[in-house]
Amino acid sequence: MRTAWRILAFDVAPPLAAIAALTYIGIALAWPMWWVAVFSVLCVLIVEAVVVNVVLARRDGVTVGTDDDGPRLRLAVATSAMATLVAAVVVGYLNWSVSDRNLRDDTAEVVGIATEVSEASATFTPQSPTASIDKATAMMSPQSAESFKKEFASVAKDLAGRNISAQATTISAGVEAIGPAAASVAVIMHGTQNSPGNRPDTAVLALRVLLSKQDGRWLVDDVSPIHSR
Amino acid sequence: MAARVRPPGTLTRMPDDEPDDSDDATATSVYGIASAVVGVIAVAAVVLSALIWTQHRDDADELRYRTRAMQAAAEWTSVLINMNSDTVDANLAQLHEDTVGQLNADFDAAVKPYRELVQKLQSRTTGQVDSVAVEYVHHSQPGQGGQPPPAAGDLAEFASRTDTVMVVATSVSENAGRDKPQTVRWTLRLDVSDIDGKLMISRLEPIR
Repeated sequence: MRTAWRILAFDVAPPLAAIAALTYIGIALAWPMWWVAVFSVLCVLIVEAVVVNVVLARRDGVTVGTDDDGPRLRLAVATSAMATLVAAVVVGYLNWSVSDRNLRDDTAEVVGIATEVSEASATFTPQSPTASIDKATAMMSPQSAESFKKEFASVAKDLAGRNISAQATTISAGVEAIGPAAASVAVIMHGTQNSPGNRPDTAVLALRVLLSKQDGRWLVDDVSPIHSR
Repeated sequence: MAARVRPPGTLTRMPDDEPDDSDDATATSVYGIASAVVGVIAVAAVVLSALIWTQHRDDADELRYRTRAMQAAAEWTSVLINMNSDTVDANLAQLHEDTVGQLNADFDAAVKPYRELVQKLQSRTTGQVDSVAVEYVHHSQPGQGGQPPPAAGDLAEFASRTDTVMVVATSVSENAGRDKPQTVRWTLRLDVSDIDGKLMISRLEPIR
């Protein structure tokens, strides 16, 4: 019985565990060419070792697991299998757990930034004409901030001249698409314009906010209307 | 080793020939303990890798489900915004088939404005979906306390989950009686419910 356990623990389980761990690493890495090569070589070595163990067992009647004179080799076999399994855990954690968590965190962050920028871009107060523009451009990439400021400078001047104020509040926001370094967020807002002597003018605004991750920080690249016409 | 007195003529083993059992046993037990520790770490690694895989599979399934929900909402909206006066009945029947819950029960009332508009305009409408996204944040509009609930209570019995999808679309209606085409901008919130694996629309809310 003890012999059977030793064969199972040291002759059967380690090679199977090692091959399973190498396959797991391959799936986690999405089988890049270099890993296919490494995987093939390691699997051949493992199979070769198993074949040698079986041949020697038939000749000598003792295997790596049942050989009382070879505790070092047994420990080496167990350690190799364990190291492969630990490597699989590390690779799985980094490629799956960390990236999934980053995606969740990024989703929350880009939606927050997109709603703030969208609201700021549709908000205007004649008393402080640049306040909302400054707030929006603080979350933009330098190039986008520059073009945004230029685009809105004339509009802001016109609105300030006519003493028109505008406010926008987010109704709904959601991520259209997101990757590790780029995202597109749809924001639907309720906009209200107030001008002296007129009834408030309300409208539903739908904006698409494009963001990219630069130096670990999400920045807005573009804000544009979603409706095609 | 303790010296033992033996009778004359008895052969005594040379000290070098005697096996050092205690050293071997100690070494074996050290390797045995080390192997056991390695085994425990290996088992822990197997459990951890299984947990990581399960969690990742759940996350991937969630992303796939959201994509399906967005696709279902986009397809449903596409039919809604492409209705023509001669196809309105067939289109509405098709839309009705893919609804569930309160929207299904009150479908005629819910789509009445759209039906009347299409029939009144006698128009040829072509629409396109501009944006689809699963809603991540929603703020109720002030003064609209009477909004319908996110999911009808009766739906909870047979829908495994319900997600809200935002759809932004544009349609252009060319009316025979007018020269200028009329552009309609759609901003909709649709609830997409999973009914036994089939995704159906359970609520339609135009944002105004």
